[in-house]
Amino acid sequence: MAKYSPNDGLVVVNNLVKRFPIKGGILGREVASVKAISDVSFTIKKGETLGLVGESGCGKSTLGRCILRLIEPTSGEVYFGGQNVLGLNSDELRRIRRKMQIIFQDPYASLNPRMTVGSIISEPIKIHNLAQGPEVTKRVEKLLDLCGLRREAINRYPHEFSGGQRQRICIARALAVEPEFIVCDEPVSALDVSIQAQIINLLQDLQQELKLTYLFIAHDLKVVEHISNRVAVMYLGKIAEMASGDDLYRDPKHPYTKALFSAIPSANPRGKKQRILLQGDVPSPINVPSGCTFHPRCPMVRDNCKADIPALDAKAPDHLAACHYSHLVAKELGSGGTHRGSEAVVSTN
Amino acid sequence: MSTPVLEVKNLRTAFRVEGGQLIAVDDVSFSVMPGQTIGIVGESGCGKSVTSLSIMGLIPNPPGKIIGGEILYKGKNLVNLPAPEMRKIRGNEISMIFQEPMTSLNPVFTIGNQIMETIILHQKLSKADAKLKAIEMLRLVGIPAPERRVDDYPHQLSGGMRQRVMIAMALSCNPSVLIADEPTTALDVTIQAQILELIKGLREKLNMAVVLITHDLGVVAETCNYVVVMYAGKVVEQGTAEDIFFRPSHPYTRGLLNSIPAERADGDERKKGRLETIPGLVPNLLNLPKGCRFMERCKRAQPETCSKAEPALDLVGAGHKAACFFPYKEERTPGATESRAEGAAKNRAEA
Amino acid sequence: MSTISTVAAPVSSAPLGRSLWGDAWVRMKRDKIAMASLGVVIFYFLLAISVKLGLVAHNWGETVGKEYQPPSLENWKLFFGTDIFGRSVVMKTIYGAYISMTVGVVASLIAIPIGVSLGAIAGYFGGWVDDIITWFYTTISNIPGILLLLSMALVLGKGLWSINIALGVTYWIGTCRLIRGEFMKHKERDYVQAARSLGAGHTRRIFIHILPNVFHIIIINFSFLFVAAIKTEVILSYLGLGVQGVPSWGTMIDESKLELARGVWWQLTSASIAMLIVVLALNIVGDALRDCLDPKLK
Repeated sequence: MAKYSPNDGLVVVNNLVKRFPIKGGILGREVASVKAISDVSFTIKKGETLGLVGESGCGKSTLGRCILRLIEPTSGEVYFGGQNVLGLNSDELRRIRRKMQIIFQDPYASLNPRMTVGSIISEPIKIHNLAQGPEVTKRVEKLLDLCGLRREAINRYPHEFSGGQRQRICIARALAVEPEFIVCDEPVSALDVSIQAQIINLLQDLQQELKLTYLFIAHDLKVVEHISNRVAVMYLGKIAEMASGDDLYRDPKHPYTKALFSAIPSANPRGKKQRILLQGDVPSPINVPSGCTFHPRCPMVRDNCKADIPALDAKAPDHLAACHYSHLVAKELGSGGTHRGSEAVVSTN
Repeated sequence: MSTPVLEVKNLRTAFRVEGGQLIAVDDVSFSVMPGQTIGIVGESGCGKSVTSLSIMGLIPNPPGKIIGGEILYKGKNLVNLPAPEMRKIRGNEISMIFQEPMTSLNPVFTIGNQIMETIILHQKLSKADAKLKAIEMLRLVGIPAPERRVDDYPHQLSGGMRQRVMIAMALSCNPSVLIADEPTTALDVTIQAQILELIKGLREKLNMAVVLITHDLGVVAETCNYVVVMYAGKVVEQGTAEDIFFRPSHPYTRGLLNSIPAERADGDERKKGRLETIPGLVPNLLNLPKGCRFMERCKRAQPETCSKAEPALDLVGAGHKAACFFPYKEERTPGATESRAEGAAKNRAEA
Repeated sequence: MSTISTVAAPVSSAPLGRSLWGDAWVRMKRDKIAMASLGVVIFYFLLAISVKLGLVAHNWGETVGKEYQPPSLENWKLFFGTDIFGRSVVMKTIYGAYISMTVGVVASLIAIPIGVSLGAIAGYFGGWVDDIITWFYTTISNIPGILLLLSMALVLGKGLWSINIALGVTYWIGTCRLIRGEFMKHKERDYVQAARSLGAGHTRRIFIHILPNVFHIIIINFSFLFVAAIKTEVILSYLGLGVQGVPSWGTMIDESKLELARGVWWQLTSASIAMLIVVLALNIVGDALRDCLDPKLK
């Protein structure tokens, strides 16, 4: 997989690796490691939304945090606007942190319960000296308006708000520094369905209005598909497939993607589908299988899959997949994303 | 027409909190036939979990209490049943599985022991016999090599396995009703698919009634025959799965279905539009508005009627009820948008 | 121009801007026993301040009656009788309250800042800093408490101040452990990571973010430290290592060793009851604080 050049996008990641050592024994030697991310490369263009999808242990949250250097990668390159993020010292890092922000999953844990909403949102403004005195309050009010919150929220505390409102506060806080890029780490997973829709709309509106670029991390394929231009599917620390939402849905080239799509329950009682049930559990990133990491659960595994690691190659224009037999996925596992929807249903009674 | 195995009639459960009395479940009624799966759907605070805990008699008292209604299990009223008798029913005739398999299992006992505990308690088998039964249950729920795994501790199993163990525990005494409170919410989607298939298979094999509580409409569509939609403590709509998904009458139900990112039919150009949302928030149960609880967020609300009184749960179709003064009458195609209808028509033309 | 709709007012029916502290206070007020205990503790504090200001019991040394006069109701000073020198036991007890309160406050004021600082540094920075601090307090805590106190008291000489210092310097360890654990926990929490991503440095994260969230633990810890200090002072004074030349509950109990043989029970009773009441009250307040201040128990 050819590496990307630093200017191939607003965010460029090359061969990123993150391993968490597990120490044991009397001398505290490293006895094993959690291979959270193994050799991941991708780009995100300005104004784009890249969706990152996968199940637990796939490394998607770690990836988001590594880009921001909230977790230090073990090796690899991260470029933001052409600048090498991993080589910055703490002052430069603080300055570049203005441009890249993060929204967390748990709206209850990501707000300091002892600070008022006003202090929470104005803190970044003060840290980076973006305004003084009454100008600060004006900015906070503007951000509250932008995120659909009432101005009286300034003097209230996080525990007085619901989950969806707290997430709005988090978004307002992230916007306070006027970022260009936001990592959305499962921002709607902890919210009710009707509130999810509100927040997704808000994120999309903000993206249009403020020309933002998003890395949208989630485990809910439906939501990711909706908001993203391109989607990357991760499995055990690697990207299994990456393509536009349409291509991924219409013509998945990795058996895992196919299985993931078919596992989603469809809100249509008539749409009985041919479901591909994967055997076994999601393996642990401590004991990563050899060869293609998906081979123990793959419904179309062949002999060489146990030994040869598939590269993430372009199997079609703008459509990358890491599978030796991606050309056979459609034939063996059925075509199309799933058979859900309206009349075009394959009924398996 | 067989008799329902579980009948909930006008159930009301309240909690004493700072600020007054909070009625978490307000006049909820539904019946469950043997072998049927009924889904209770709603968002946070709607009262679905409290309903299931009320049925099991697990409402902590204080601060909670069932203040009205009946829960008839095979004709016997469970409300205010003396504790020893309720204990005989719990785990034995009505079982429950919870959302978090990590915390619902005791970490210091083997999974075999935990399953055996229920069996010995209710069926009075010897330890050896109970162990054999436990192994059988583990096999039933699809755990490979059950004779070996029966001596494992919970931390040695993954999330999906632990949930299977919970199901095994719940089914060990062959209950007539299984209450599953968000059984797959904490699991990965591929594991969720496995567990749902398992529950469906077991339901058929054991002719067991299942009460499935969830906020995920997809799960409901796949597994449930009958659906009860709750909002702010009240039932706003109930009917068969077909009724709810294709003929939703209550604006809340419709809004909920429409806020799910659109399902795509084959060959459909994705429309990256805005999602239809239900504006606003769930009302504060301590400070309920007068009249319909959904009025503030409803597109169809007419303040003159909707603010005067709470709508009653009336029939809008055969076996289909909704609590609304202005229920929808039109049908709904799942994920219907203009382009989809066109796409579907194109498919039909080409077929 | 934004198409974003405004969300309705916040869900809480509580008055505007009631912080978690305000919440805790409201809940505490409802616990009648806790409020009564708090009243008792405040009363003891006021007594101690009055003694310091010379308003009462400053003349504890004057003779108010014959030696070993039993309790009588003729004079408030004779409520608990007199000791071997004819001095009022009541006044001695009140003076003892002053001593105990002082020891509680001063020992805590020495122990808590040390414990919090070291615990915060160890928990927050981890690594070799944590290793050193942990090694340090583990070593000290391996020495039996009483022996450590005794040896410090012997080194520093007898008297009130040496007790204060000895207590402060041994009791910081419990606080340090607690705070270290809390800092380790909070450091990884999302709201701190969020602050980090916004550009907040270490100082800001420690003092503005984590410390206020750990403060309630410090307060609860303070109340239990207080009790421990009072009890330990009593033991040390009983052993003759404590205050010299002024009465304290410990010295009174020490004196009563000989008195009991003569059937004189009132000095022992007075000191014990006074101590029992304040220790009980402090324990109740401490428990109530823990219940009210823990945000998770809402």
